[in-house]
Amino acid sequence: MNNTISKHIFRAYDIRGIYNKDISPDLFYKIGLAAGSYVKNIIGGTNLAAGNDIRPSSPCLVHSFISGVCAVGVDVAYTGTTSFGQTLFKGSELKQNLIAFVTASHLPADWNGIKFYYGDGVGLPEEELMKIRDLTMSNDIKVTDWREVGEVKSVDPKESYSDFFKSKFQFKNKIRVALDCGGASMTLSAPDIFKSLGLNVQEVFCEPDPLFSKRPSDPKPKNLSVLVNNIKENNCDFGVAFDGDGDRAVIVDNKGKVLSADQTGIIIGKHGFSEKKGTIIVNVECSKSVKEQLEPLGFQIKQIKVGHTFLTLEAKREKSPLGIESSGHLILPEYFLFDDAIVVPLKIAEILDKNKVTLDEIISKIPTYPTNKEEIECSDHIKFDVVNKLKKELSIEFDKVNTMDGIRVDFDKGWILIRPSNTSPIIRLTVEANDQNTLKEMTYKFKERTNNTIEEITKKNV
Amino acid sequence: MTKLFGTNGIRGVVNKDMNCELAIGIGKAWGTFFKKNVKKPKIAIGTDARLSNGMLKSAITSGFLSIGCDVVDVGLVPTPSLQYTVKEGDFDSGVIITASHNPPQFNGIKGVSSDGTEFYKDVEEEIERIYFDKTFILANWPNVGNYSNWDGANDLYVNGILSKIDYKLIKKQNFHVVIDCGHGVGGLVTPSLIKKLGCKVTSIFETPDGTFPNRNSEPIPENLSEIIKQVKELNVTLGVAQDGDADRAIFIDENGTYLWGDKTLSLAGKYVTKSKKGGISVTPVTTSTCFEEIIRESGGEVAYTKVGSPIVAKFMKEKKAIFGGEENGGLIFPELHYCRDSSMSIAKILEIIAKEKKPLSELISEIPNYEMYKTKINCPNNIKELVMKELAELVKDNNEVLKIDKTDGIKLFLKEGWVLMRPSGTEPIFRVYIESKKIGKTKNLAGQYNKLVEDIIQNIS
Repeated sequence: MNNTISKHIFRAYDIRGIYNKDISPDLFYKIGLAAGSYVKNIIGGTNLAAGNDIRPSSPCLVHSFISGVCAVGVDVAYTGTTSFGQTLFKGSELKQNLIAFVTASHLPADWNGIKFYYGDGVGLPEEELMKIRDLTMSNDIKVTDWREVGEVKSVDPKESYSDFFKSKFQFKNKIRVALDCGGASMTLSAPDIFKSLGLNVQEVFCEPDPLFSKRPSDPKPKNLSVLVNNIKENNCDFGVAFDGDGDRAVIVDNKGKVLSADQTGIIIGKHGFSEKKGTIIVNVECSKSVKEQLEPLGFQIKQIKVGHTFLTLEAKREKSPLGIESSGHLILPEYFLFDDAIVVPLKIAEILDKNKVTLDEIISKIPTYPTNKEEIECSDHIKFDVVNKLKKELSIEFDKVNTMDGIRVDFDKGWILIRPSNTSPIIRLTVEANDQNTLKEMTYKFKERTNNTIEEITKKNV
Repeated sequence: MTKLFGTNGIRGVVNKDMNCELAIGIGKAWGTFFKKNVKKPKIAIGTDARLSNGMLKSAITSGFLSIGCDVVDVGLVPTPSLQYTVKEGDFDSGVIITASHNPPQFNGIKGVSSDGTEFYKDVEEEIERIYFDKTFILANWPNVGNYSNWDGANDLYVNGILSKIDYKLIKKQNFHVVIDCGHGVGGLVTPSLIKKLGCKVTSIFETPDGTFPNRNSEPIPENLSEIIKQVKELNVTLGVAQDGDADRAIFIDENGTYLWGDKTLSLAGKYVTKSKKGGISVTPVTTSTCFEEIIRESGGEVAYTKVGSPIVAKFMKEKKAIFGGEENGGLIFPELHYCRDSSMSIAKILEIIAKEKKPLSELISEIPNYEMYKTKINCPNNIKELVMKELAELVKDNNEVLKIDKTDGIKLFLKEGWVLMRPSGTEPIFRVYIESKKIGKTKNLAGQYNKLVEDIIQNIS
């Protein structure tokens, strides 16, 4: 590893890179200096909570990070190796000014990184994260006088975290859940908490496996065959799979069907609240069925940009009951603002407990629409120009146009979304339609339109 | 000579020369050193109570983990507790973050080998070489080290001491002890240990506090007025004061008299020698002759070493010594471990008083008295060697000198005492030690030999 810091590790919502290649303990010391000076000088605070996931390199990185935070005079409450939710819970319980969690979420085990939240559970928006980036790159942060050095206190989140759920969930019936932690960080919290609440737990990859050797940490449908079989064999009421740190949960019904985040969100909206009011936050990628299903019940739907940090921020602003990100982050602010995925299966269990219906019956009443996601290659230096040109043109051509994040056009029979990728030389096209034919038509039309624009701009630049 | 490691590990002012980057780098170098012989070295790490401990512990821990060493954090511990844990546990090395008796702006890193002894120079030199060459052997991602906590070190240590002491005898005595922990880490174990020995305990400055609010952590007479006052008021068996990391103990007799370390060293040595019916005791060349005299009288022998507790400990192990220590209150009882240990010293002194059935002042009065005078003379590091050469030339034909010893510096044995002149290993100074039976003679010799050293330094520079 060389001493130059690669700027690309600082992404819109977090910091990520490959251990010993992009990131190292020396770099995390510098990020610690930057985060500490962000707390002290930008938000005017005095303390920070830090924790780490189960990856092999996480304890090493969190310790050098902590030493940097202390060196600028900010106190640290260290929660240890935990699930994402445990550290976030403890950090907000202790009213810390900033919460840092060392993880690379669902990425492979050789990756690592760090995510930042404010003490109330709202994620740091991109522009704030970039302040930490700039401080890290600046290389001229002054360490404090010996009297002011921050202190490190070890705090154990397990007990109060577990007590919290006991106070929130009581089940009358014996609900059978297949629990797939993928050997990752949720092994540290979910099995104990599920059992303590009286759920009948069928464990799948619930032993810690920091190398993620048994199941990749991304809970994509193709990685969930063991879970699906377990549900069928043991007649489970439902199943759940978590990602590497525990900020995303994927729900699988009693027949073994993997649900999308939108479907899970609709189920919670329809059956999880006694009063159907307030504003549900969805991002521009969410299915139109969310609006169709939930608005008539009395909720309002607000569309926002993609990114779970915006989700937490908007949910706080709107005092929302629910936030849905189609990538899998769901938030239920009656428990937490932050995206601790453990609340999702617990809410599903509560719904099944109260309603005495099976999950597949609930789902059968929710229509789904065919969707399509295309990745269109486009070099980094023109991808934003291409999308901007399309924004201008499509805004004139169509009525229902939304340009808060890329460009979304709504039609009677579906919608399309065109967004440049933040990280790869790609423009993403997402399409949802009432039927397969319309889907094909719309996909073809807007893929061609995008490719033509790319060609035009490339020619102009030559 | 090592640049970073001094006589007692690496020391420096926090966030100046003792900073996180140094600690991360030292962790990497230290880990690399042990990694050459062990696949996954296991390191115990503990700290004293200083404000910067969490920061430096986190930094050095991350260095160790990056090499692939497993780190077990034992928390706040006296230095001897960490050393005992490393010896008894399955550890390849131990780290203690402490600056011992230094003022609060300082902190330091001290190394412990798998047998619990402090690092010897050869290990420190090799770690420094790796640090400066940056020849770290970094672990790839699946093999980065694990971090865990263990809070059993202090209990293990206290039980170790109790197993080596006749505590039933002490319990019968109704002793009353005043202990001054000086807000160091001794407060975590020593008062409760003395209670376990059945003594009444009056403890002052017990809570560990890295700002050392009530007294400086070095147990020298001017810092111990409070405990001396309490001993005088309370009619107790004795008073005892610890330094910041609790490896050294200084005693106050039942009358409130401050006892110099060489007196206590001699008393413990005498007792150990008598009970073992002879054996070797080890001490540096700077120790008062009272030690050798009483050990010989008791049927034992004394072996001398260079200054530095790691050197004393190593020599003791090699010679299978029965006892050892320094004149600063650092006593080593090898039946427990080869480490300076204030808590073990307190337990032993109480055992001696219980067995001998005499008050501490009386036991001390049986130790012969010598008058020692210590001084330091400024001397640039680069001429120290020349000064030594010159000194050797000048004293070689001096007919006052009965014997010359060059274990550490030049020690001249005279008819009525001795003189030791040695360059400091850490500071740009020359130290001169003079001892004789009579204070007048000591003063005369001091005048004479200080001038000799000063003149040589002046001539050369």
